[in-house]
Amino acid sequence: MPKSWRKFLIGLALFLGAGAGVGYLYGRPDWGLLAAALLALLWHVRQLLAFDRALRTRDFDAFRFGDGIWQQIFSRFSFEHERGERHKRRYRQLLREIRKSTNAMPDGAVVIDADNQIVMCNRAAKRLAGLKPKKDRGQRIDNILRDPAITELVQSEDMSKTVDIESPLRPGDWLNCRVVPYGADQKLLMLRDVTERLRLNRMRRDFVANASHELRSPLTVITGYLDSLADEDIPAGWSAPVAQMMVQARRMNRIVGELLELSRLESAGRANTETVVDVTGLIAGARKAFENRNGFAEIVIDADPETWLRGNSTQIESVITNLISNALRHTPAEGQVTVTWHEHKNGAELIVADTGEGIAEEHIPRLTERFFRVDRGRARDEGGVGLGLAIVKHVLSRHDASLHIRSVLGEGSEFRCRFPTGRVARRSEAALIGRVQSA
Amino acid sequence: MRTSNLTDHISRRFNKDIEDLRNNVLTMGGLVEAQLSRAIAAIVSGDSELGLKVANDDYKVNNLEVDIDEECSRILATRSPAASDLRLIVAIIKTITDLERIGDEAEKIGFLASQLAAMDRPSDSYRELKYLGNHVAQMLRSAMNAFARLDVEASLEVVKEDDRVDEEYDAITRQCITFMMEDPRSIRRFMNVTWAARSLERIGDHAKNICEYVIYMVQGRDVRHTDTLDLPDTQ
Repeated sequence: MPKSWRKFLIGLALFLGAGAGVGYLYGRPDWGLLAAALLALLWHVRQLLAFDRALRTRDFDAFRFGDGIWQQIFSRFSFEHERGERHKRRYRQLLREIRKSTNAMPDGAVVIDADNQIVMCNRAAKRLAGLKPKKDRGQRIDNILRDPAITELVQSEDMSKTVDIESPLRPGDWLNCRVVPYGADQKLLMLRDVTERLRLNRMRRDFVANASHELRSPLTVITGYLDSLADEDIPAGWSAPVAQMMVQARRMNRIVGELLELSRLESAGRANTETVVDVTGLIAGARKAFENRNGFAEIVIDADPETWLRGNSTQIESVITNLISNALRHTPAEGQVTVTWHEHKNGAELIVADTGEGIAEEHIPRLTERFFRVDRGRARDEGGVGLGLAIVKHVLSRHDASLHIRSVLGEGSEFRCRFPTGRVARRSEAALIGRVQSA
Repeated sequence: MRTSNLTDHISRRFNKDIEDLRNNVLTMGGLVEAQLSRAIAAIVSGDSELGLKVANDDYKVNNLEVDIDEECSRILATRSPAASDLRLIVAIIKTITDLERIGDEAEKIGFLASQLAAMDRPSDSYRELKYLGNHVAQMLRSAMNAFARLDVEASLEVVKEDDRVDEEYDAITRQCITFMMEDPRSIRRFMNVTWAARSLERIGDHAKNICEYVIYMVQGRDVRHTDTLDLPDTQ
């Protein structure tokens, strides 16, 4: 029993006992007890009413002092009350800080619930996408940002996906959107202004394309004159330099051609799915092109002629020739290059494997960069331009496919192109589609 | 009337039906907006492939119109909605017709873009068309926003905006006529430009119509063919 209770109960008992004692002196202890009880009741009713008034008027002075049971109750109450207030103040402060920091973020952030309804959004979301923080609460996000890509994004389960949409406020500005899940079925939609990045990218692309174009006409003139020079009688001592110049001019021509092809690939969209490609036929064609040359390894084909691919025939052909010519260049004549094309459970795979010298692990991630060379001096003598794998990578990404490279030094390399199921066609479908592209 | 009132029915199924219907209309609106902005981009950048893609994608808009129309009929038949619900359904039936027409105009613009891409291009790459197009696209976007937010004031803004679109259209027509008189060989090309401008102007009209339906839906008054726009009686 707490001390205050004991004190209260003893006090009450003593008061009642005193009342009974006084009554006993007058011969009526029961009346004395009753009078004391009534007095005690009266006092407590008064305290109760005062307590209620204090709560109502927030004028706590009447209860500030003393150590009776009522004061105890009151001081406990006011202690809890003040603690609550203090917490509330702290949380409010915290909330204000959080809101301030989310509003200061340069990227738009929109909190959406499981039904894609807007819970809250920051100031950047208002600035970038025209959302109204107060008014749009409870609206579905895809009712406000109605771009079909957004609808698809917020409804998809794949959280790693991002889409670029045009800003609803300023045509020509682009926003990169991604969804981050958090908490119990809440999602955060992040909007980032990528106008500048896209513009720089486009400038770089345009620069490469324009520069290649500009280089092309002087090169044509140079090769033209060199060709006619070679036909004439050239003074002794000049024939070797002229031959060298012709070789290098052709090389430059090829570089410019591949750069142009690359920039064309970069600006082209996804390869269409309406035309189908006979991959087996393309592989056979590529082998024929390489077979006539001496000093090359043997090419072995293991392909399924029933499996075709939806996509662009010339682009796929350049993937096949690039991969095969790379493999041949790095494989000794007694080695072997294997080209495999088969359908699998989740798509189809084109594998070009060789028994060449292999690639060191640290070089593999950089292989598809433009002009990247493992061995700077050597590859150039063998006729490589340095853009082949970059072209392969771009073509594959236009076909929703991915490139996986595996290699062991001294044993050989394997280039594996994985195409998704949606890109695989059957030979019988080719007739139905009617627009067959073949090698 | 606020958004929340729309979904304030005793029958939860009815709530869901109405909410789904509204979402579908806005999805259709989003699709049409995307079609329009791609059609404009096709004209401005001379991208014939994109233009043809826009023209080929119009069937998606048409399919949505048929679906939403059916759903409206079903709700009318099974729920017999009254008052604001009835106005909502009526407004939706009209809105999707206008959206579908906008889709058709975007299809036309896409087709014209593919034709224009094959002809000579002016040095300003059809700046006026781009300007008019962006203006109209903004109108359509505001109209759909007003529909989503049931925003009468924004609707009124769009309705007023239509006059400016008409002026721009006039200016483009006049300019095209001048060019055609100067050089008769360019008539074919400028006819196409005029058609594209005409389509854009029509889209502006349709966006205006949608806003009038929004006003009807929210306030229950019909502001078509009237001059009483400036006196919105607040409820």
